[in-house]
Amino acid sequence: MMADDAQLLAYVDGGLSPEDRSAVEARLRESAEARAKVALLRASRLDFEDAFAQQKLPPVPDSLKLKVDEMVRAHRAPESNDRALPPGEKAPSEPVRSRLRAMPVWLAAACVAGAFACGLFVRLGPLASGGAQMTASADVSPWVAAAVGYQKLYTRDTVAYTQEDPEAAAKAVRDIRSEDRLALRVPDLTSAGLTFKSVQRLRFNNKPLVQIVYLPKNGPPIALCVMKDSKPDQPVATKTVDAMDVATWRQAELSYALIGKSGDVDLGALGKRISNLDMAPLFSDASPIAPATSG
Amino acid sequence: MNGADLPGMLPEMLPRLWAFALRLSGDQHDAEDLVQRACLRGLERAHQLQPDTAPLSWMFSIVHSTWINELRARSVRKRSSFDWDDDFLENLPDPVDRGPETQLMHGQIIEAVERLPEAQRVVMLLVAVEGLSYQQAADVLEVPIGTVMSRLSRARQAVGALLGGETPKVRPAKIQKDSIA
Repeated sequence: MMADDAQLLAYVDGGLSPEDRSAVEARLRESAEARAKVALLRASRLDFEDAFAQQKLPPVPDSLKLKVDEMVRAHRAPESNDRALPPGEKAPSEPVRSRLRAMPVWLAAACVAGAFACGLFVRLGPLASGGAQMTASADVSPWVAAAVGYQKLYTRDTVAYTQEDPEAAAKAVRDIRSEDRLALRVPDLTSAGLTFKSVQRLRFNNKPLVQIVYLPKNGPPIALCVMKDSKPDQPVATKTVDAMDVATWRQAELSYALIGKSGDVDLGALGKRISNLDMAPLFSDASPIAPATSG
Repeated sequence: MNGADLPGMLPEMLPRLWAFALRLSGDQHDAEDLVQRACLRGLERAHQLQPDTAPLSWMFSIVHSTWINELRARSVRKRSSFDWDDDFLENLPDPVDRGPETQLMHGQIIEAVERLPEAQRVVMLLVAVEGLSYQQAADVLEVPIGTVMSRLSRARQAVGALLGGETPKVRPAKIQKDSIA
């Protein structure tokens, strides 16, 4: 029989049956190469576990502990339509159908929402120090900085597995318009190569924050985030925040932030098209209209 | 244990996931991003965790696949060894009751593992450092158990070649219970 690398390892570490052991020993008598390998394997019978246990590693960052705690809390929260609310401030809301529980984006959004609520509590410190520099964030609203930080958690996989649920999306849009009183327009970005995936109600500083997620043909998802803002209109401006491209503008008492990974899509140009109402709206009457494309 | 327990177990697992991610990526920012993404993925898929799967090795598997699929490409390993910023280490107690020889040997072992090709290094981290069985490591890496053993054998031979001149000053490795029969 061939004494291959795996068998020689098992031989040295005592994991062979008596028959296999004899066979390997026979092979060792014939092969100098096999004997050399066994010598090396014996020389490496070391307590690796102990050696690595003594390795000095940086401690788990507090920001990571906080984020994981928030994800766990969001995951465990009773199913409701307003997960972002801190305990004790839960508004009456309809239960979400249980099958939504399996939707990764919904859960991801719940985690984001939980983190937003937490961000409020800790005054954004851990959010802003979430592993990357926020050097360009000085001129960015806190809600945009927080949205950028958590958009980074979204990967293509997170969103691509989602089954579109036009009915749930239409209901979310209706709720945003009626309960949050936010004149939401969900642009159809198909002509820019972006497929609508989901619309989520989140909260930041206890105010509604809408996150609309689109998937480009390649690369990670792009989010259009919207919050109420009574300040005067502002044209589209682009900047880099935390290694993400962000286009922001203000229009008709709504603040917009279009967030994506740097370099994939020209978000400034896309933001201008959206602000010029260049794209037809989805859910124009908040009726269940299926997205124009799927994928 | 089943998927429903995962949320409760994640905070406890965090130090081991963090250490694994640090050793995998060699970079603290990457490790934080990696663990964060893996926990999010784990919670999303908690319902898929089978009762016969150890939650920790399931999470190692997610950390590993997240590293391979999402982060490794953007991050050329920046460090050849773990020369972490001293600021992060000042509060750690020094190892006690260990002579300088043992410490030196530990350092050599860690360095030898660090120098292995990635596929062998990961198997060493899972089996020899984290104590997973060959089968668990095979499940984590989604490769046959024979592949795990071959990689481990080649890794051990490489480590043996590097440290062969030294007299081992530490206890021998634990015997693996898995049989290849």
